[in-house]
Amino acid sequence: MELIILLICGGLTIITSLLVIFARNTVHSALWMVASFFFMAVLYLLLQAEFIAILQIIVYAGAIMMFIIYAIMMLNLRQEERAPMRKTKVVGVVALLVLFLELLVVAVGRGLLAIKGPVTDQLMAKFGHIAVLSNFLFSDYVLPFELASILLTAGVVGAVILAKQKSE
Amino acid sequence: MIEFWTILIIKTLVAFAVSMLIVAYSTWIERKVLGHVQLRYGPMRVGFHGLLQPIADGVKGFFKEELIPDNADKPVFLLAPIISIGAAITLVVVIPFGDTVTIMGHKIPLYLADLDIGILFVLGISTIGSYGGMLGGWSSGNKYGVIGGLRASAQMISYELPMALAVISVVMVSGTLSLVGIVENQAGLWNVVKQPLAFFLFIICGLAEINRTPFDMPEAEAELACGFNVEYSSMKFALFFMAEYCHMFVFAAMVTTLFLGGWYGPLLPGPVWFFIKTFAIIFFCVWERSTFPRYRYDQVMELGWKVLLPAGLLNILLTGLWMLVFNI
Repeated sequence: MELIILLICGGLTIITSLLVIFARNTVHSALWMVASFFFMAVLYLLLQAEFIAILQIIVYAGAIMMFIIYAIMMLNLRQEERAPMRKTKVVGVVALLVLFLELLVVAVGRGLLAIKGPVTDQLMAKFGHIAVLSNFLFSDYVLPFELASILLTAGVVGAVILAKQKSE
Repeated sequence: MIEFWTILIIKTLVAFAVSMLIVAYSTWIERKVLGHVQLRYGPMRVGFHGLLQPIADGVKGFFKEELIPDNADKPVFLLAPIISIGAAITLVVVIPFGDTVTIMGHKIPLYLADLDIGILFVLGISTIGSYGGMLGGWSSGNKYGVIGGLRASAQMISYELPMALAVISVVMVSGTLSLVGIVENQAGLWNVVKQPLAFFLFIICGLAEINRTPFDMPEAEAELACGFNVEYSSMKFALFFMAEYCHMFVFAAMVTTLFLGGWYGPLLPGPVWFFIKTFAIIFFCVWERSTFPRYRYDQVMELGWKVLLPAGLLNILLTGLWMLVFNI
C-alpha cells in the first residue's frame, strides 16, 4: 500500500518538476511547482514526518509560491517567449561533459578513503558528529550530493544569463 | 476493518452534507439578516419566508449558460473555482463537532480526523484556497479581475501573519496543536477569557482572510465591478460563492474551537452547543457586514502591518511573561 503511494507520488513529483521547467507560460510553471510541493508533502507524510509535510505546504506552497505568483502577475508575462538558439550552447555541452566526467571519477573512486560500516555511538565519539556526517555525504551519498551541487550551479548561471539578456 | 470503513464513510458523508447545508443556508441567513437590518424583508417568494431560496438558486446556477472569455487562460480558468471550493471543503475534515458518542455500541468521535498538527493544517489549506481567487482573477484576462486577484493575494499575505500570531498564543496556553486537544483544554475556562487580545486579532484577521466587508477588497463592487469573479458565470460563479460561505462556516467553527470552548456548555449535548456558537459567529459576520463601510485598500494594508502585526507580537510576549511569572 505504502509502496504504491510512494511510487505514484514520487513519479508525479518528478513529472510535475519537469513540467515546471518545460511549461512555456510562467504562471503555469509556477502552478506546476505548487503541485510538485504537494506531492513532496505526501512523500514526507509517508516518512511519518507530519510536521515537515505541513510546513512544506504552509511555507513553500502557501507563502513562497504566493509571492512568486504575485510577482509574475505584477510583471504581466502572459505572452509566451521563445529563446533563439545560441552558439554558446556548444560551450554548454562541453562544460556538461566535463562535469559528467568529474561525477564519474568521484562515483567510481568513492569510498576509498571512507570510514566503513554503520554509524555507531563509538564512531561518533571517535570522529565527531560532523565528521561522520560529511564522511557519509562524500562516500555513500556522493552522487545525490554532486547532482544537487550541479543543479544549484546551473540555477545560478541560468539566473545570471536571464538577467544579462535583459540588459544587453 | 469493514466496520471501520463503514463508520468512516458514513461520517464523511454526514459531515459533507451538513456543511453543504450550512453553506446553502448561510446565504439565506445573510440575505434575511441584511434585509431586516435595512428595513426590508429579504427573500419572501420561494417557500415560507424564502426558506427554499438557496435550493432555487442552486438549480438556477446549474441551468445558466456558461461563458469562457476568448482572452482567458482556459485550463487555469477552469481550475480556479475547483481549487477554491476544494480547499474550503477539505477544511471541514478537522473541525471537532463534538465529543465521542456511543451509537449502537460503537464509540464514534464526532470529528473526521484529530491531526496532531490540526491548527497548522487549517492555516496551510486556507492559504491554498486563496490561490483560487487569485488565479481566477488572473486567468480571466480582464483588468478588473487581475486587480481583484492581486488584491486577494496581497491581503492574504498581510493578514495571515497576525492570524498565525494570534493562533500561536492560543497554542501556548493549550500546549497542543491538535484542535480536539485545544477544545479539551477549555473544559474549565474558555480561551476567550485567557486570550482576549488574541480573540479580537483572530476575528479581525479572519474577516480579512474570508474576504468579508469591511475587508472585501478583492471584490469591491464599487471600484472593481466584482473583482476576481467578474468573468465567471453559472455554476463556476456559484462555486466561488459556495467557497466563500464555506470559508465563513469554517472560520466560525474555528473561532468556536479555539476561543469559545468548542462543544462545552451546560445542559444541552455537545454538538448542539457547537452549532449554537458557530451560528452566533455567522450571525456576527453578517451583522458587522451591514454595519461597517469598506476600508480603502491602503488602509487595509496599513491596519494589517502597522497595527495587527505588532499587536500579535505583543500578545505573544505578554502570554510568555504571564506563563513565566505564574509558572504554568
